Amino acid sequence: MIIKEVTIVNKAGMHTRPASTIVKIAAKYKADFFISRNNFEVNGKSIIGVMTLAAEQGSSLTLRFDGEDEEEFSKEMIGFFEDGFGEIK
Amino acid sequence: MPGKFENIKEIKKDSISVEFLYNEFKGRFKLEKVTDKDIDPEIKITEKDIHRPGLALAGYVKLFTYNRVQLFGNTEIKYLEQLSPEERLSSLKGFFSFDVPCVIVTNNNEIPIELKELADLRNVPVFRSVYPTTRFSYFISDFLDDQFSAQVILHGSFVDVYGVGLFFSGKSGIGKSEIALDLVERGHRLVADDVVVVSKKGEGVLMGSGMALAKHIMEIRGLGIIDVSKIFGIRSIRFQKRVEVIVELEDWDRDKAYDRTGLDNSTTDILDVDIELIKLPIFPGKNITVIAEVIALNYLCKHYGYNAAEEFRRKLQEKITKKSESRSLNDKNIRIEKTTEYFEHDFE
Repeated sequence: MIIKEVTIVNKAGMHTRPASTIVKIAAKYKADFFISRNNFEVNGKSIIGVMTLAAEQGSSLTLRFDGEDEEEFSKEMIGFFEDGFGEIK
Repeated sequence: MPGKFENIKEIKKDSISVEFLYNEFKGRFKLEKVTDKDIDPEIKITEKDIHRPGLALAGYVKLFTYNRVQLFGNTEIKYLEQLSPEERLSSLKGFFSFDVPCVIVTNNNEIPIELKELADLRNVPVFRSVYPTTRFSYFISDFLDDQFSAQVILHGSFVDVYGVGLFFSGKSGIGKSEIALDLVERGHRLVADDVVVVSKKGEGVLMGSGMALAKHIMEIRGLGIIDVSKIFGIRSIRFQKRVEVIVELEDWDRDKAYDRTGLDNSTTDILDVDIELIKLPIFPGKNITVIAEVIALNYLCKHYGYNAAEEFRRKLQEKITKKSESRSLNDKNIRIEKTTEYFEHDFE
């Protein structure tokens, strides 16, 4: 299992578009993926779950990967978060 | 516990503010604020139980659970009334030397002036209700129980099928939302999809509901996000429902043995509540929607005292016993018993 804390860096936060990319990335991998904010944990493969987090800029989230391909999975996902969902010029 | 429900995190509220309690109760239970000061939003209630402080007022404070909501019923008020003004002041001073969150006077009792003054001085809100103490304690206990109940977030679809709360779990992409949509189309009611908040109500009851933000919203692969209440109308939704059966969907596995009789009920544990669990293998061409309806109807049959599997087992046992009693050794003919042996002139 890989657990990693990330911070939302882009201005618009985790809105619909990044949320959909997150679940699209997640769908490629076999491992389970969860995102939590404080005690509130959702399945990272569900777009409604991801959007329900309503994570704004500056909020910190915990990502949890669990499964055979967790290594590559976490690498791609964490990269996407650190990159500000590609919204930082 | 089945794999899907491992690692679920229990969420529990540590406290609610007195202000929140007042806002929820002023309309619903006609609670009025007696003290003059505005309620300090920092005052918190941390316990779900309430307390009648009769003994504390009489001076016994050894086991005084001061951090609970303090309920003044007829006993407390009558006790204070029969004291002399000096005694009353000293009794209440003793009471307010503790850090109580709030005081609620029930039965529309007159508020002793010393109580109001000391409360304002100590910044403790005092409320009054017209309801008798027993009834009011029932309302507030139910409310606090609900507020402080243990909760978990489950990933799945939750539908009311013929009045039975069916929760569909299973891995992402297996088709939970599609089944829920199919059920809604057939007249059943969606409670929540994808993110379901399940909270424990009393002992042994789990209630499920959706998140405020994603109310009756659903994602269908290839289609995107849809609003079920807008498309199917009011008949297609409900806010909350008791969770009664967990239907775990999984890809059909040839090597796995599935339940064939329904005699051995398996259950799963959510927040220490045992919930019936049905593992349903799925494969193309299998109509899960109809099976889901049958699961609900079968649950109702069992609930109303009829268990088909059990009934069949009993009949079979009866037959075997009867046969072994009357068996003659040279009886070689197997008798086939039809549903009805001779049904006159029914040639249809």
